[in-house]
Amino acid sequence: MTSRLMWLRWSWRDLRQRWVLVLAIALTIALGTGAYAGFTGTADWRTRSYDASYAKLRMHDLRLTLTKGTTAPAGTLRRLVAGIPSAGRVRAVSERLVVPTQVAASHGGRRILVAGRLVGAAPAAAVDRVHVYAGRQVAAGESGRAVAVLERAFARHYDLPSSGTVRISGGTPVHYVGQGSAPDYFSPASDSGIPMIGESGFAVLFVPLATAQRLAGAPGRVDEAVLTLAPGTDPSTVAGQLERALGSGPTPLSGTVTVRADEIGYHALYEDINGDARFFDIIALLLLLGAAFGAFNLTSRVVEAQRREIGIGMALGVPRTRIAARPMLLGVQIALLGVALGLGVGTVVSRAMAGLLTDLLPLPVWNTPFQYRTFLLAALLGFALPLLAVAWPVWRAVRVRPVDAIRVGHLAARGGGLAPLLRRLRVPGRGYRQLPLRNVLRNPRRTALTSLGIGAAVTIMITVFGMLDSFDAMLGDSEHEANRGGAGRIVAQLDGYHADGSAQVRAIAAAPGVEGATPLLTVPATARHADGGSVSLIVELRDLGAGGWRPTLTAGSLARHPGGLVLSEKAAHDLGVRPGDSLLLRHPRRSGQAFTLTDSRVTVAAVHPNPLRTVAYLDRSRAGLFGLAATANAVEVLPAPGTDPARLEQTLFAMPGVAGVQTATEGVDALREGVGQLTGILDIAAGVTLALAVLIAFNAASISADERSRENATMFAFGLPVRTVLGMAVAESALLGTLGTAAGIVLGQGIDRWMVRVQLARTMPEIGFDVTLAPGTYLTALLLGIVAVALTPLLTARRLRRMNIPATLRVVE
Amino acid sequence: MTSGPNGPWGAVLDGHSVGRRSGWHATAEAERGQEVADVDTAVGTAGRAATGTRIDLDGVCRRYRVGRTTVTALDGVDLHVDENAFVVVLGPSGSGKTTLLNLMGALDAPSAGRIRIAGRDITAAGPRELQRFRRRTVSFVFQSFNLFPGLTALENVQFGADVAGREDAGGLAADTLAQVGLGDRVRHFPHELSGGEQQRVAIARALATGNPVLLADEPTGELDFRTGVQILGLLREQAQAGKTVLVVTHNREISRVADRVVELSSGRVVADGPPSAGRADVSELHW
Repeated sequence: MTSRLMWLRWSWRDLRQRWVLVLAIALTIALGTGAYAGFTGTADWRTRSYDASYAKLRMHDLRLTLTKGTTAPAGTLRRLVAGIPSAGRVRAVSERLVVPTQVAASHGGRRILVAGRLVGAAPAAAVDRVHVYAGRQVAAGESGRAVAVLERAFARHYDLPSSGTVRISGGTPVHYVGQGSAPDYFSPASDSGIPMIGESGFAVLFVPLATAQRLAGAPGRVDEAVLTLAPGTDPSTVAGQLERALGSGPTPLSGTVTVRADEIGYHALYEDINGDARFFDIIALLLLLGAAFGAFNLTSRVVEAQRREIGIGMALGVPRTRIAARPMLLGVQIALLGVALGLGVGTVVSRAMAGLLTDLLPLPVWNTPFQYRTFLLAALLGFALPLLAVAWPVWRAVRVRPVDAIRVGHLAARGGGLAPLLRRLRVPGRGYRQLPLRNVLRNPRRTALTSLGIGAAVTIMITVFGMLDSFDAMLGDSEHEANRGGAGRIVAQLDGYHADGSAQVRAIAAAPGVEGATPLLTVPATARHADGGSVSLIVELRDLGAGGWRPTLTAGSLARHPGGLVLSEKAAHDLGVRPGDSLLLRHPRRSGQAFTLTDSRVTVAAVHPNPLRTVAYLDRSRAGLFGLAATANAVEVLPAPGTDPARLEQTLFAMPGVAGVQTATEGVDALREGVGQLTGILDIAAGVTLALAVLIAFNAASISADERSRENATMFAFGLPVRTVLGMAVAESALLGTLGTAAGIVLGQGIDRWMVRVQLARTMPEIGFDVTLAPGTYLTALLLGIVAVALTPLLTARRLRRMNIPATLRVVE
Repeated sequence: MTSGPNGPWGAVLDGHSVGRRSGWHATAEAERGQEVADVDTAVGTAGRAATGTRIDLDGVCRRYRVGRTTVTALDGVDLHVDENAFVVVLGPSGSGKTTLLNLMGALDAPSAGRIRIAGRDITAAGPRELQRFRRRTVSFVFQSFNLFPGLTALENVQFGADVAGREDAGGLAADTLAQVGLGDRVRHFPHELSGGEQQRVAIARALATGNPVLLADEPTGELDFRTGVQILGLLREQAQAGKTVLVVTHNREISRVADRVVELSSGRVVADGPPSAGRADVSELHW
């Protein structure tokens, strides 16, 4: 017992003697394991929170939506549902009227005018309930009055009070009495189907059904029904029955039925968890690997320093197991410290992630319990890592003959590695300038471990920033395409279908500040190709042969395929079509006052570079295909020179028949803001990465300073100044940093490519991303991987200046 | 003595630079009557005619704090070493020999007393001046060689020439290595050389500086007899070639080859004079 205590005390002394290094190793392990636990643990509590939130507000299982611009008398859709064979499996139905509008919420001197939506439903609806975070619900007695609950994320973004007044299209005031959200709008999606459009660019007003009907001028009308089904019911079976029922009633209707899993907001949230989980797994694994390399390197060094003592033990006949016990005990102590600190780091990362996500998503239920299982796994890794790192050099040490181990300078005089291979390679200048390169080469294992540790950090940085670059490039392309040849274009959405020569269209064209006005028609459609899947489109019918704005064509030609469809590159890729191919377009067609869905075969004429997959164009001459010849539901306005676009927007907003006003780039701006919110998560990853890279570099520099102390003392004895010795250390670190950065950039490019092409394509299929790495990202990687790493030896300057030269020169290994 | 253009050490360096300008001069091996196996005894023939430098220590004390205890390593040492002398500092372990060497090499500072090299008081010099002093006036040979493991033998020697600011450091290093009998080992790394070869590289590195004072701390401590004798022969030649050479050792036999033996005990000089048993040639040594 006494003997064991003596060994324990001895290892404890080892630990105290090298406490800075021990703390550095423990911190490295803590960063790796803590980030691993913190990042990978989010998937579980996010899924639980989403499930609980959707359940609490009774998210619909199916949504039946009539074709845009059409409505049906209230009760029609409820009766339609009651008539399907599986009506008994339907638990609840709620009819709604969803009206696109514009919301003006100017507040505190800030002009706020964004696209929005009135969602009218019964105040006590059993499906898609509204959860109020601030203020109150709309009371039953307020039905029909212009009273609403304002969507919370929008309100919070602009720091709006919990109650107030906003104006909708036509300048109608709406008083909101609270801030809340409904399941469809946890993650709002724009009309073009792009998720995460950003809370700043989209405002939803939850109003009683009667209020929506009154404000939209559609009394007694609805355009949507949402349903919940009994547990165990197959939603696609019921959806099929509903689709058939739509066209078979006495008054045929056209519309679409969407199952919950296909709801863009819902799908995006869960897919986001999976995408994030895959992303975080990679980041966490890289961090763990970086930490492993760093810890391995450091711990090996601690044990290497004891090799002579190990040799003495062997010479004295101490059993190998007992010899190994002391360094292994040191490893255990480092491991325990690393795990303890790792739990702390993990908790911090986990809390930061929870704070960020709860802030980002206004869910009614957020359940973020401590993830014991993930932390246990991380703790096991954190514990095993230093033990393995200790075991390897101990194994090497006990294999050395005692006579070698106890020989003075056994380790000091070694100069092997790759250095002999390069004995003829000389760096220009004085002899000692050879030292940094030789030092890097003479211990390839340590060089590789340090470089890989730095490389792992650079890899993460390239991956994280590379994704942001791809987002930026996508937004830039989109913006460039929207602005090209027609900067300042404004699109006024009409409240329905109007003839080109109607009073509403003429009034817009004649509005002050309008230089030109072009009627547009936008219709939803689904494109199908025999060899590919299906893609939802928003087809914009505009005059593609005349002047004004036209999309850029990156392939194909309208002259060759007149009247053909112009698809986005992403849609063409996903459908597997090229210009000249034909595809089937399922679209609404007006017949009298009703719409029916019909299939038409169209030729793909060309592709355009807008990264948004849904955006497609047809020449207006094809409007007859939709039964909408010479009809418009939007007007594109070009402001007259010198006109303030904001003032023109306000003017158009106040005109009768105008449902919304947007600049051509507003959608992109909103998307940019949405992306901006997500970068907070990446910032946490970048912060941990930076800390790890600097720690690894500092530790490497610190080890070098320790190991080279006798060499440094010799240089001082020969009169070399501290700055020269430091300069050589900086050069050596720069070499290590260069190796690590090169490896990190190569690996980072590969992972970034995979993240963008596979993960982002799965999470956001509606957006086409190109793999882009901006020069700034490379520069950041070089700054971190080479410059920051190269400068870390400067932190050892004080130690060098205070070196006891005679004592160091006499140190025996 | 006037201060030269090189600052406080100008006087020392002036003398030094005169030696440099005068180039290498031949000292016939036969003149010295020495012959040491396996060593090119013609070091002096290619050695630089660096004029030795006088060293004066007056009342030098060096005390260390070890916990709450004060240890006196040197206690009032007065020592005056003439130019071109080959002095052995002798004493048992802990007598203060290495401390004395470190003080003379400006690696350490005395707690009391004054050290003058070539008439300049180094105890009053600042860190930069001391660095310059080490670059241009003294050079060291260590017991455990302290070669740079990442540099070849040639590059280690070139290091010495480089830091001392000598021109054609590469050629000088090659010549010096040839002079210590390692002309065929120039591209070997230290771990590829025997202990004796490593010490010869260390001596070559010190010689390549061209500095007038050579300080050697137990230079034969890790070597076998035969190699140790070779090394002593080399050092002796340096004194004959005009350098001031101080060798610290605990081996009384070695002191027989010195011009003068300074014996230390408990930090004090207890004997100072020619070898008590008479001066011997390196070939006569036994241990």
